[in-house]
Amino acid sequence: MTRVPPLPVVPPRYPAPFRTLLHDLLARGGRMRSGRVDQQRARRAVLSHSGTFVGHRPYVHGDDPRRIDWAACARTGELFVKQFEEERRRTATLVLDLSASLLVGAPPRRLAALRLAAVVGGLALRHLDGVTVVAPGAGAAALATFAGAGDLDALLHHLDELPVVASAPEAAIPLVLSRGMSGHLHWISDFADPARFELPLAALRRRGASITGWLPALPEDRDVPRQGYVRVQDPETGAVLAVAVDAALAAAMRRQLELLQRRQDRLFAQFGCPLVRWQAPAAAEYGIVAWQEIVAWCAR
Amino acid sequence: MVCALTFAEPQRLWWLLLLPLLLWLALPPQPRRHAFTAHLAQWQAAHAALRRRPPRLAGLRFLLLALAATAAIGAHAAPQWRSGDGPRRLVVLLDASASMGARRADGTSAFAAASALLRERLAALPPQVDVTVLRCGGPRLRRQGASARMLQDLGRPEGALDVDLPALAAAVAAPDTAVWTLTDGQAQAALPVVGALSCLPATGPNAALLAVRVVDRWPLPQLSLSADLVLFAAAPRTGELRVAGAVAAAVPTRVELTPGVPLTIDVELARTAAGGVLELSLAVTGDVLPDDDVWRADLPALPAPRIAVLTDAEAGPFAAVAAQALAVEVGGTVTAASPGAEVGLLLVDGGTAAIVPGQVRALCFGCRLDAAVEVVPWLQPRVADWDRQSPLTAGLDLSELRLAAAFRGVLPPGEAFLWADDDGGVRTPLAVVVDGGDTASVHFAFRLQDGNLPLLAAFPQLLRRAFVRCHGTAAAITVMTPTTATGEQDLQSAASAEDRPLPGFPTPDRELAAPCLLLGLLALALRAFVR
Repeated sequence: MTRVPPLPVVPPRYPAPFRTLLHDLLARGGRMRSGRVDQQRARRAVLSHSGTFVGHRPYVHGDDPRRIDWAACARTGELFVKQFEEERRRTATLVLDLSASLLVGAPPRRLAALRLAAVVGGLALRHLDGVTVVAPGAGAAALATFAGAGDLDALLHHLDELPVVASAPEAAIPLVLSRGMSGHLHWISDFADPARFELPLAALRRRGASITGWLPALPEDRDVPRQGYVRVQDPETGAVLAVAVDAALAAAMRRQLELLQRRQDRLFAQFGCPLVRWQAPAAAEYGIVAWQEIVAWCAR
Repeated sequence: MVCALTFAEPQRLWWLLLLPLLLWLALPPQPRRHAFTAHLAQWQAAHAALRRRPPRLAGLRFLLLALAATAAIGAHAAPQWRSGDGPRRLVVLLDASASMGARRADGTSAFAAASALLRERLAALPPQVDVTVLRCGGPRLRRQGASARMLQDLGRPEGALDVDLPALAAAVAAPDTAVWTLTDGQAQAALPVVGALSCLPATGPNAALLAVRVVDRWPLPQLSLSADLVLFAAAPRTGELRVAGAVAAAVPTRVELTPGVPLTIDVELARTAAGGVLELSLAVTGDVLPDDDVWRADLPALPAPRIAVLTDAEAGPFAAVAAQALAVEVGGTVTAASPGAEVGLLLVDGGTAAIVPGQVRALCFGCRLDAAVEVVPWLQPRVADWDRQSPLTAGLDLSELRLAAAFRGVLPPGEAFLWADDDGGVRTPLAVVVDGGDTASVHFAFRLQDGNLPLLAAFPQLLRRAFVRCHGTAAAITVMTPTTATGEQDLQSAASAEDRPLPGFPTPDRELAAPCLLLGLLALALRAFVR
């Protein structure tokens, strides 16, 4: 009898080395794509301190020094930055797949997805006005907004606390639309069943959303056991298939994985959106090279 | 409590130890592991592309295979379902002692009534009941299975009941074994208290010939019989002792029998020369057990031999005289010894004669049997002793026997009955008898003229006894009536008890081998559909 092992445990998502790495990445990042052209214009307005002044808040590391209110500083002796209510906010939206299928892999794909979300969200906090995190199925935490570089820790804490829940991709549509179409939409998932994403992608594109698909790639997406008796189980549905792997079956499985990748690419291509396959590094690998690809993609 | 499911061949269940091997063979190939995947649909599609059926329900397939193997092994062990409790075996203790031959009121013997009752009950027994019949009394016989149900060759009632029936019944009785005792209660202090009991009493007066002693004077026709009679009855009775068969006509002897008092009657008879069966019977009116009233013996024919004498040149007249005297005594004749002539006794004195010891009825005195054998003279041997128990010399006085010479090396190997003191105090045979069954030969190491044996008073008797001994077993009377069984004659008092019926026997067991095989085939068929 084959014993059913427990689901893989996701290691600590944001340890100190990763936080250091994240700050380095954000400091090096030049810019981030916001969204539509009118939003680019709004961004320029913000940079020129346009909009209605609504108050001050204490300066935190990472705030744009140009937004420091020096007069207030002279009065109080402390650094404050001005807060404006822009006509059009420049934000980004992160849609996270919290399903159990992301627990597959060593390290689990969910670890790479959460760290990817932290990098993209951090870039949005640094270079844009805020970021909205949409996590379908997470209940009260399904929709959260963060603004300013000072919210980075809050963003990481929020991401860290997201549960593993099963939800359909369609559930993301009302959540995204509830806040208006705020900025560029980054959808992080394994897109294991591309057909289920057709409807939400089409709906969001009809409403003018600019979408980038992020797929943390794992070795399991390409490599297949060469031989042996394997009981494969879908962690989301619990369905089990016992297979006796030989060379012919391994080759057929590789063909199926290639076909899946082509379907995923075709899905995003048909809606004019890019799908980024980001090769996730090991859990304890904090070299900056592997993460610069994300920064580069965000800057395009 | 009796387990309902049993196996006739339970040792075959050891084959079940092969099931782990079956499990090992059914295990999937190594390595075996479990993996979570987000690409289950791709695995299914790859399987479908290769037209493979996934090994689903492998556990169920093995269970079905194990079930089929277990069913087959179970069928091999001959399973049976016992439909009910009850004895599976019946042991019958049949009293076949001599008293069971007594006539009952209906004219049949108790043994015949017991046999008829047995046949009737055994015929009604379920076929799966294992029947054993033990004959108690006389020759002990055991019949098992079909021969027991047929009461095959149980003989006739005879002998004493030398078995303690209550103890035997108690020893045989078991939860699955029923005991049934059939007896007349004769010669028993108590009847069995265990198991079924059928008491078949046959009481009444009985006179019996307790013992008959015979004094045989063969080769003479005289025969003396001494018969012990006894009567077990309420009052004295008169009977007749009759003699019939191979004797001259004898008048029946009237006897007055007193109950419980033995009476000895002596009868002098003259047997016929041809021999035959001699029957002595006691006839008493109202005797219910006639089997113990008769005594039978087979008498051998009287010899009418031709006696031949073979002597060497130095022999004296002793051999011829002895042969003549012997011929007169037994009614024979003396003939000349010639090659090829058939004689009943060859009397040899000295010289050399090619006689095979034990195969020729011969009486040899100092005769060399093989010319090649060198004989050594033995001067003045001193007779030391003779066998006081041998039929040849018992009761004879040979103390006056004196020998001038004898020969060493002339005696063949045989049973010595006369010895001489050799030098150094060693006893050396002077005469032997070589037994060959129906024939025998007697050899002396000295010639008649070398001693005073012919002059002794015991010589004629020794000569006649040697003649009888040379005829071996052919001269013996064979008693055909078995020894009277002790305690089987008094039919006035016998132990009795209430009859107890046989217990109920369960219906036949149901053989489960076929259903087991069917179950195994069904499991295999189902396994073929489980993929």
